[in-house]
Amino acid sequence: MNSKLKWGVLDVIVVVFALVPVLWIVSLSFKTTATLTDGNFIPREWTFDNYQLIFQTDQFVRALINSIGIALISTLIAVVLGTMAAYAISRLDFPGKSLLVGVSLLIAMFPQVSLVSPLFNIERNTGLFDTWPGLILPYITFALPLAIYTLSAFFKQIPWDLEKAAKMDGATQGEAFRKVIAPLAAPGVFTTAILVFIFCWNDFLFAISLTSTEQSRTVPVALSFFTGASQFEDPTGAISAAAVVITIPIILFVLFFQRRIVAGLTSGAVKG
Amino acid sequence: MENRDRHPRRRRARARVLAAGAAIALLAPLAACGSDDEGGTPVLNLYQFPVEKMQDVIDTCNQQANGAYRIVYQVLPRTADDQRVQMVRRLAAHDDSMDILGLDVTWTQEFASADWIKEWTGDAKSQVENGTLAGPLASGMYENKLYAAPNNTNVQLLWYRKDLVPNPPATWDEMIQDALELKQQGKAYQVLTMGAQYEGLVVLFNSLVASAGGHVVSDDGKTAVMDAGAVEALQIMKKFATAGVTAPSFSNAVEDDVRLAFQTGSGAFQLNWPYVYASMQSDAPDVLKNVGWARYPGIDAGTPSITTIGGSNVAVSAYSKHPDQAFQAALCLRSAASQKYLAVNSGQPPSIEAVYDAPEMAQAYPMKAEILDELKNAAPRPRTPAYQNLSTVVAAQLSPPDQIDPERTAASLKKSIQDAIDSKGVLP
Amino acid sequence: MTATEVRKPARAGAKPRKAPLSEGKRQERKLGWLLCAPAAIVMVAVTAYPILYSFWLSLQRYDLKFPDERKFIWFTNYVTVLSNGYWWTAFGVTMLITVVSVAVELVLGMGLALVMHRTIIGRGLVRTSALIPYGIVTVVAAFSWRYAWTPGTGYLANLVSPDGAPLTERASALAIVIAAEIWKTTPFMALLLMAGLALVPDDLLKAASMDGASWWQRFTKVMLPVMKPAILVALLFRTLDALRVFDNIYVLTNGANETSSVSMIAYNNLMKGLNLGIGSTMSVLIFLTVAIIAFVFVKLFGTAAPGSSDDGRR
Repeated sequence: MNSKLKWGVLDVIVVVFALVPVLWIVSLSFKTTATLTDGNFIPREWTFDNYQLIFQTDQFVRALINSIGIALISTLIAVVLGTMAAYAISRLDFPGKSLLVGVSLLIAMFPQVSLVSPLFNIERNTGLFDTWPGLILPYITFALPLAIYTLSAFFKQIPWDLEKAAKMDGATQGEAFRKVIAPLAAPGVFTTAILVFIFCWNDFLFAISLTSTEQSRTVPVALSFFTGASQFEDPTGAISAAAVVITIPIILFVLFFQRRIVAGLTSGAVKG
Repeated sequence: MENRDRHPRRRRARARVLAAGAAIALLAPLAACGSDDEGGTPVLNLYQFPVEKMQDVIDTCNQQANGAYRIVYQVLPRTADDQRVQMVRRLAAHDDSMDILGLDVTWTQEFASADWIKEWTGDAKSQVENGTLAGPLASGMYENKLYAAPNNTNVQLLWYRKDLVPNPPATWDEMIQDALELKQQGKAYQVLTMGAQYEGLVVLFNSLVASAGGHVVSDDGKTAVMDAGAVEALQIMKKFATAGVTAPSFSNAVEDDVRLAFQTGSGAFQLNWPYVYASMQSDAPDVLKNVGWARYPGIDAGTPSITTIGGSNVAVSAYSKHPDQAFQAALCLRSAASQKYLAVNSGQPPSIEAVYDAPEMAQAYPMKAEILDELKNAAPRPRTPAYQNLSTVVAAQLSPPDQIDPERTAASLKKSIQDAIDSKGVLP
Repeated sequence: MTATEVRKPARAGAKPRKAPLSEGKRQERKLGWLLCAPAAIVMVAVTAYPILYSFWLSLQRYDLKFPDERKFIWFTNYVTVLSNGYWWTAFGVTMLITVVSVAVELVLGMGLALVMHRTIIGRGLVRTSALIPYGIVTVVAAFSWRYAWTPGTGYLANLVSPDGAPLTERASALAIVIAAEIWKTTPFMALLLMAGLALVPDDLLKAASMDGASWWQRFTKVMLPVMKPAILVALLFRTLDALRVFDNIYVLTNGANETSSVSMIAYNNLMKGLNLGIGSTMSVLIFLTVAIIAFVFVKLFGTAAPGSSDDGRR
């Protein structure tokens, strides 16, 4: 009972620190423009106007669809490619291994602001500008280093004995991988998936530079197109409402995957 | 396994159709890149910041064009910096899908110097010059040639609480004095204006310099000149920032912060663009009842103030595939009729003088007399292609305003501005 | 025998052996290249030209506004940037933000990971809500902090001082930026650390506690060593990102009071000043700084780095 209480208190602290600022955004989204800056945490005047406003045109819905599609596809491909590469890096021996690891880190390190203009030129010339592949490719590229490193770290922590034991029991390399290693790799894979998805979902720089119309404009960019009632007015209420709406897929994604990160693992796997 | 291979040919054909379908589905969006010409009517892409009701104006112009062209509105992001980045990136890549550009008044020199916009000549030019106010017109010039046609314009006004201050101050000193008196009496006293490290601060500085009769750069825009008038402007800024009449977040405030603060009633004076009027009407009508407006305060009693011109112009991209039609379309977009429509419906003060006399303007713009008055004698920001550099450097050195040392800041500004104009050194 | 004990002899005795290339080895090589090829191809195809182009641009004087004055000036840009006060101020601010926020995040992240992993009640709720800050669009979160910390419009400004404006003073503004960064990205650390925690074998912990180890001893001597790879990844990537902080500063102060980061001034020079030469130079310098730090980290963590040859092969 005592430890339940202890954990309960810790839980509450975590939730409060994580969510209070989020609730502030939610409260901003329910405030009328008149009371927007009255400094109250809980709105004095509640309104659904902001939410209605963002769904009035199909601009925002279109951006949501683009975001979901692009983020999911990028995540899927990045995780698949990253898993393959990470398995090779952490399990196999071949020349060029450290070069690949180094180069992928190099790519992650270069300031992206300098890369958007050349990428813009390339994409315009190859016709990829303002298309889904035009965003998916850079997202995969910049998510791969993180994916490779994260997955390598997890593959490293998986003991070799298991694979060897499975092989000695008559399994092929493929079966050993699927039935023994893959479940152990699950935490790494799902962690990577969450991180890559959030990266793709929230990216602004590439999205605003490599898109131009609703065809492929994603949500963070759509936010910068929201207008207030006049030139200098910030549509804070609408932006907050949009932010709340676009955080929901993240919540769902995380909720779905968080359990799989810790699903039954090595307890009992390594004996001796 | 065997069942599936019973009709290998059919399977292959189906697979091929699916693959083709997938390829088309993936590639189809590529085909619709921007808007292309369709069956003869040239499509003109207008790249402009978002304006409510702009589509109505475009529809009217398309109707009047009668098939000669069709304007399509490609909206740009809300903030000026984002718009500029989008346009510059494409112009630097010689993108031919942009035809008409909506430019901020400070971009003309830069874009013209980089050969990104075309010069207005002949009949189109005289149509633009005819009836347009002098101040906005000057903002479209580069090396004495017209490169951008004024569309809407903007000047800041002094908004004050009639119930606290019966007669509006005419100079900065008076305003500070009035505020201090109100502070002593325990009433709302703050003078609210923009002081964050951004373009708005440069606008404030520019207005003060112009009102003091000073200069920041020479007329040809090639030399930095921080003369006595500029030093006086710095002195006023310092005095204002340290007099105890500014809001606590003055040095971090942008237009909307100022507007919102004034609407909550915590200020007695506000120096801001006319857009605040419409917001007050909808958000704080009670405060609006007690609000009056007047000309921006000057420096010397007796010499009216000179304020900075804001607003936007229209230009034709140098890489447009249909320049002649683009000029015609631009003329329609910024015509007196369009300006009147947008002035009344979207809060954009017109740059054509005659529009101000239209009867509809009286209700939407009760302050139009003050606006016109200021426009007749308004100052542009320093005219150099390197204006963005200059602005970044000036904003960095003037921020926070309460730490300005007039003589020293003037000296270091002179050097930094010269470097900025010559595109030397590093921007902060 | 525990997993760590099994590993030790291998590490002590493992020297690079010149084994003859057996068929098995050759297969392994081919498989290795095959598995890595798609990732490598995608990464190189997309970034080779832009990165090389940036390097090339940094060697030129190239201002988009004055296209006729473009010329090749070798390393003069580097001298200009490295001898400029603005650059070093921004550098110092960036370093400060990075060091403080990463250090705090490591500690908080570890704590958060422990809670997320071990809590007995409300697991799903805690894990999901702990990750939400990371999932919110950075710019929106930054705006919400800006509103919260502006006196009169928000709920936090007046908590600290009755009529101060924390965003207008350098020290407090930096503190707010750091706090915003920590709030936003601690979940990133925590997620990686939690997944690392999940792979610590329970047996090890049970054995250690049966041997009489206290919780702290179990933590430092059993959990941490096993989590080393995860900690490296978390630290490395979080540091790389922290060095490139931009959004929070841009929205909260726009770099006023010398709170700019190196990314901000690179952006200003590149996008506002349209000075491709200087902007690219700054990007390359940022890249070199980050590369040096990454190199140091990888060296420090030694065998925990991916791709190091003696990981677990026995």
